[in-house]
Amino acid sequence: MAQQYVELHGRSAFSFLEGASAPEELIAACKELQIPAMALLDRDGLYGAPRFHLAAVKNEIKAHIGAEITVQQPRVQSEKVAATESNPAVITIPVLVRNRQGYQNLSRLITLMKLRVPKHAKPGECAATPDELAAHAAGLICLTGTEDGPLAKSFHHGDSDKARRTGEWLVDIFGQENVYAELQRHFNREEEERNQFVVRMARTLKLPLLATNGVGYATRAQRQVADVFTCIRNHVRLENAGRLLAKNSEAFLKPPKIMTRLFADLPEAIFNTSELSARLEFTLKDLGYEFPKYPVPQGETMTSFLRQRTDEGARLRYSGHGTPTYERAREQIERELTLIEKLHLEGYFLIVWDIVQFCRREGILIQGRGSAANSAVCYSLGITAVDPVGMELLFERFLSEERGEWPDIDLDLPSGDQRERAIQYVYERYGKLGAAMTANVITYRGRSAAREVGKVLGFDDATVGRLSSLVHTWEWKDPKDSTERQFREAGLDLQNPRIRKFFQLYQMVQDLPRHLGQHSGGLVICQGQLDSVVPLEPAAMPGRVVVQWDKEDCADLGIIKVDLLGLGMMAVLEDSIDFIRDAYKEEVDLAHLPPDDPKVYGTLQKADTIGMFQVESRAQMSCLPRLRPQKFYDIVVQVAIIRPGPIVGNMVHPYLKRRQGREPVSYAHPLLEQPLKRTLGVPLFQEQLLKMAMICAGFSGGEAEELRRAFGFKRSEARMREIEVKLRAGMKSKGITPKAQEEIVQSITSFALYGFPESHAASFALIAYASAYLKCHYLAAFTAATLNNQPMGFYQPFTIIKDAQRHGLQVKPIDVMCSDWLCTLEQVPGSIPPVMRLGLKYVKGLSAVTGQAIERERKKRLFTSIDDLHQRVPELRKDEMRKLAAVGALNFIKESSRSPVQIPQSKTENQTRDIGYSTLDKPIHRRDALWQIERVVRPAGPLYEELHDKRASPLTPMTLPERLNADFRGTGLTIGRHPVAHQRGELDRMGCARAIDLPHMRNGFKVRIAGWVIVRQRPGTAKGFVFLTLEDETGVANIIITPDLFDQNRLVLVDEPFLLIEGILQHQDNVISVKARKVQPLSFTVAAAASHDFH
Amino acid sequence: MFASIYCRKIITDVSLADFAYAFSPLVEKTGADTLVLDVDGCELLFGSAYELANEVAKLAAKPKSEGGLSTKVNVAVAANPDAAVYAARFLKGITFISPGEELTCLGDLPIEALLSPEPKVQCPESHGKADREELAAKKRLHEIQETLDTLRLWGVKTFRDFAALPSKGISERLGQAGIKLQQLAAGKTERHLNLLPTIRNFATSIELEYPIAEMEPLAFVLARLLNQLCARLHEFALATNELRIQLKLEDGVSYERKLTLPSPMRDHKVFLKLLLLNTETNPPQSPVLAVSVACEPVNPSVLQNGLFIPRAPEPEKLELTLARLAKLVGADNIGSPELLDTYRPDAFRMKRFALPDTSHRKGFRGKKVKAQPAAIANQPCVAAFRVFRPPLRAYVETLHGYPTRISAPDKSRNVKGRVVQLAGPWRTSGEWWRTDGWARDEWDLAVESRARSTNDGTTSGPQQILYRVYRELNSGAWFVAGMYD
Repeated sequence: MAQQYVELHGRSAFSFLEGASAPEELIAACKELQIPAMALLDRDGLYGAPRFHLAAVKNEIKAHIGAEITVQQPRVQSEKVAATESNPAVITIPVLVRNRQGYQNLSRLITLMKLRVPKHAKPGECAATPDELAAHAAGLICLTGTEDGPLAKSFHHGDSDKARRTGEWLVDIFGQENVYAELQRHFNREEEERNQFVVRMARTLKLPLLATNGVGYATRAQRQVADVFTCIRNHVRLENAGRLLAKNSEAFLKPPKIMTRLFADLPEAIFNTSELSARLEFTLKDLGYEFPKYPVPQGETMTSFLRQRTDEGARLRYSGHGTPTYERAREQIERELTLIEKLHLEGYFLIVWDIVQFCRREGILIQGRGSAANSAVCYSLGITAVDPVGMELLFERFLSEERGEWPDIDLDLPSGDQRERAIQYVYERYGKLGAAMTANVITYRGRSAAREVGKVLGFDDATVGRLSSLVHTWEWKDPKDSTERQFREAGLDLQNPRIRKFFQLYQMVQDLPRHLGQHSGGLVICQGQLDSVVPLEPAAMPGRVVVQWDKEDCADLGIIKVDLLGLGMMAVLEDSIDFIRDAYKEEVDLAHLPPDDPKVYGTLQKADTIGMFQVESRAQMSCLPRLRPQKFYDIVVQVAIIRPGPIVGNMVHPYLKRRQGREPVSYAHPLLEQPLKRTLGVPLFQEQLLKMAMICAGFSGGEAEELRRAFGFKRSEARMREIEVKLRAGMKSKGITPKAQEEIVQSITSFALYGFPESHAASFALIAYASAYLKCHYLAAFTAATLNNQPMGFYQPFTIIKDAQRHGLQVKPIDVMCSDWLCTLEQVPGSIPPVMRLGLKYVKGLSAVTGQAIERERKKRLFTSIDDLHQRVPELRKDEMRKLAAVGALNFIKESSRSPVQIPQSKTENQTRDIGYSTLDKPIHRRDALWQIERVVRPAGPLYEELHDKRASPLTPMTLPERLNADFRGTGLTIGRHPVAHQRGELDRMGCARAIDLPHMRNGFKVRIAGWVIVRQRPGTAKGFVFLTLEDETGVANIIITPDLFDQNRLVLVDEPFLLIEGILQHQDNVISVKARKVQPLSFTVAAAASHDFH
Repeated sequence: MFASIYCRKIITDVSLADFAYAFSPLVEKTGADTLVLDVDGCELLFGSAYELANEVAKLAAKPKSEGGLSTKVNVAVAANPDAAVYAARFLKGITFISPGEELTCLGDLPIEALLSPEPKVQCPESHGKADREELAAKKRLHEIQETLDTLRLWGVKTFRDFAALPSKGISERLGQAGIKLQQLAAGKTERHLNLLPTIRNFATSIELEYPIAEMEPLAFVLARLLNQLCARLHEFALATNELRIQLKLEDGVSYERKLTLPSPMRDHKVFLKLLLLNTETNPPQSPVLAVSVACEPVNPSVLQNGLFIPRAPEPEKLELTLARLAKLVGADNIGSPELLDTYRPDAFRMKRFALPDTSHRKGFRGKKVKAQPAAIANQPCVAAFRVFRPPLRAYVETLHGYPTRISAPDKSRNVKGRVVQLAGPWRTSGEWWRTDGWARDEWDLAVESRARSTNDGTTSGPQQILYRVYRELNSGAWFVAGMYD
């Protein structure tokens, strides 16, 4: 019988290009080969440890943790060996974690070496010193390693003495019983020679032998991926990688029987694997993570402090009209606080509260989203803005005792600097080793995988381009798009062995880790010593530190995190409030907006929502006139209904029909009336699913959440079956008929996969309402703020400006005499609403530094000439001057005197703006400015220095189409007439209707319409249909393209900016669209900005 | 006056310059498809400039056999070469521009036409100079493009628009380059032509009166042609490192050979021998009707051998020897073996044999070379390995995958016996992305052969010999790679 063998030296793909299998694949192989335990030793990190641990727990395998640590050569070795660039004086020491102390030491050691060097350090630069290794050796087991290990280095120099000294050094550091002489057998002559040497050394030093296979991949076939990764790491192709590649394919996980046979002459080496495995008592279950305590004032406990803050907040929040009474809310709050105290989460809530308080103090908008909005405590603490008591939201979706998981609070902040300030506050408050961002593991997917594999196989650039272009960006996958067809269309033959090999390798590398990025907002906080829980390393962004695990890993290991997410719309809201304060002289409090503003609901019902948060997409626009929101909850439904879940689950149409009274409201069982009443018997939210399970099957809140998770994204068949049995049993006990049971189970199982939390929808609906309110009442402020925070949302700046103009906003051109870097508002005498001035930011190719320099200088005193501008803003390059002139930004520079006009100190910037250009001399035209620029930017030379050409330029002014083209080329937008308006005469002759005319036409009418394509979509849920949005001078029109028509006109539909569509008008429930029958391109001689495609 | 010819179709088989020489000896090649001729003084031959233009157009339309180009050309005559070039390039047919009327003719041309090719000087002698000129031309093109961008921004669309702008304003804004461009647009430039240098042709050919079917007469013909060619090379103090021969055969096939020489040579006798050796290896399949020989002229190499450096064989003789050897053993089987960077056993490739470079020896002058202790002397006794080439096909009996008995009958060696000791397998595999990827297991086997009687009547005891044996994993075949001495 084969001895029990444990593989104690394995690497996963988390060694980043030094391993070729995912941790789960290694565990699956262990399970198949009946290996009871395995150790994962990734290179200088514990990146793959959580996934390895979780997979092992699931498969009842013991997961040992360790790492291969790069260490600078100790003095015993480096006496005679000089380090060179190609051979850095480092060795690799594999270490295994024995106990929690060892784990903490290893994590700290890795953090120490990683934080010392920049993120993209050269190989060998990131290494621990021998002293650091010695200081962190407690609780670790050391293996003598392989060809880059400490003993092998001595062996290469044929120096037994040095090898003995190295062995003694290791024993000194780790202790006699904690050093194992490692032997690997990969059928390699040199390796075997080294093994004999190691055996001799082990006998001399009395070290136990340990057999390992230095596993680099789970199966033999994955050697090919390992070779590909070697090439990517060394920037070579397979053809010329030579001996960089592996000698053979033996580094796969081998069955105990084979390992026993391989080490038949050294049976103790096999025996010791199980013995050592038994000594390794640590697993990641024993992580020892503690959530940080919040520093409370003397005499307070965290519990009492949280209770006081919650009580204060609740009294404030629940005192307004139309809100539930404080007494009613008190009950829910008490229930939540009891659970929070039971789970010892007071610190977490106080920390989040503290971040929110900081933002409030600093005037940074902040709002909680996600399931936190189910909590009355969060609402009372000001973390969220949705009242869960008033909306009857389900707390269990946020936190439950049964789940054994930490709650997850996501905070939305204005994207950009404001968010960065909040992040830096957390760093400052909890220290560099107390807080870090979660990582984002970037994997080989799609085009990147295709490109890198293609390069390694030695394909030329054109072929690599073709191969990577095969990876479609369409969300909708055409069933006809078989791999063979895609390859054939790209002119690639899958019968060709190289192409076939490419395809094979491309599939094999899918989803393997590529490098570590930084998660957009997840912050992990720990009680001072985060580096003892998970290794930290520098992020690419200066001043940022990331943990080696991603968001999911952190959650799986019970590490609590706070998501500080940047939301463009929050920045827009914040900027709008500032604009309103300055320009309208009004103070807007987002928390106290009028709740039932008729103008807002009127606009939403008309789907006039360009620029509004969450309700501006094409799909939302086509749903709004049907749903006709009349109260806030309707917006909550509107935000949630246009999602894959309700669409795939066929919930949208039943809900809309019931809402329009075309279908009766019915329930599968009378018990379901209570949870589904608000959504007319159609389940739309995750909370409803939970309530259904609670009411129909008697589940507790935690059990219901467990059910949701079991049927959710990470569904497991066994777990689902188990819960379904329980669900049916519960329903049976409530007397629900089998037919109704089936219906309920069906609706739960299909919905759980995609459902949207009501609390999240409510949080978003608040922002959506605020954005709609600001757009309806403060159009200038909202538009300026939206333009200043681009890119964001669904539409290009051009569409936003045209929409605002149609709503009456006066937009002023870019002008160096008035424009700041950002868009601003100006008061024009006689005009009540302010007008918007485009900012210099919109001049393509003008750097922010230059733009801000222009703004700064102009505020000191106005520019008196182009020459004056050039002299006072030295940052302004020649090409930037030209760009400014071409878009007309220099038209209003006064060219009357060489002597600069001194503006009195009292003339502030606003006064300057108020003057506008009406007080200046007659403006010059763009070509005048261009003529002058060339004179100004060129060194005049001695002959011309004193000569000044006083004559006007000999150039003719730009014509209207020329100006339009210059605007589009230079800014991507125009504030003048819409490009389509210029062609209206011709379009009228062709019988084209305008977008504004469509509502007055009958359903089924044959119509022609022309416009500029601003959005192209092929959603995954639309069965191959393509949706276009065409814009003309009067508005937008929605076009539906059938899959067949799309196939026939693919190029025209994808590439052409202006289209003429002929089709049938569909006018149903105030939703207007044109079902295209014929498509043709329009050749307008205007440059067009890019459309927003394929979302 | 200047006449410019613009060929509307790209022609490759006839030289446009050769065509132009029929009208004037003073020719400038302005672009691949454009020429300018100085036609002053040609009146006696062709009549007025307009008549000459007509002649040019007529001849160009004629077939190539009659000295034409078989295509239509634009011809323009003007008082300055640039106006003639623009008119030829952009106005169809024949254009005659009277002095002072340039803008009338060219005024409507788009401003982008200014990007038309600038005159280039051909300098085959000096690559460095040519590179510098190419760089300068690129820079100039970039400058012109930048100026054109400015003009476009100014709304200047045609030559006329540009010409109408005040020169002083242009000078202030676009400098002298701008002024020059404006003069081009106005048709007011003055310059000399960059005349084509004398053509040097290093090719010679002969049409035979009767077909040659044997090597000897062909050798005579080749000797004559090579003699001419080498004399011409000598005349220009040049040599060649590439010789091309083209034979027109009776069956209509063109037989072509190319000799690449390691160093520039000029010896017609050597060339003849090399060509004959090469042709004998791959003789033409039918009698020869015409013979052409051409070469690529390069500067001869000048090498001064050091006094104390051993003499190497003369390059010509070495080349001849190699050619003779190639004829004997095949061209693919001669050269220096070079080991490949791979784990594939015995992988090597043949590279062209070249004399070792002695130039590095200069580096040792004056340097003390530290005596290295012989590394091998410090090594324990190492077994030598005798490689069998080719390896012996073997038949191996195995037990649980381990070899137990081997037999590899061969004329000279008889590897046969029981395996008494073994080590291995040593496994290598690779190049899995190719169809000829390899995978093999190597074993070191101690084989005990049976006792046998010798000629003198004594019986030798069983012998143990150490072999290296391998098994190709793809085919399962066993081979003996060699033995340890």
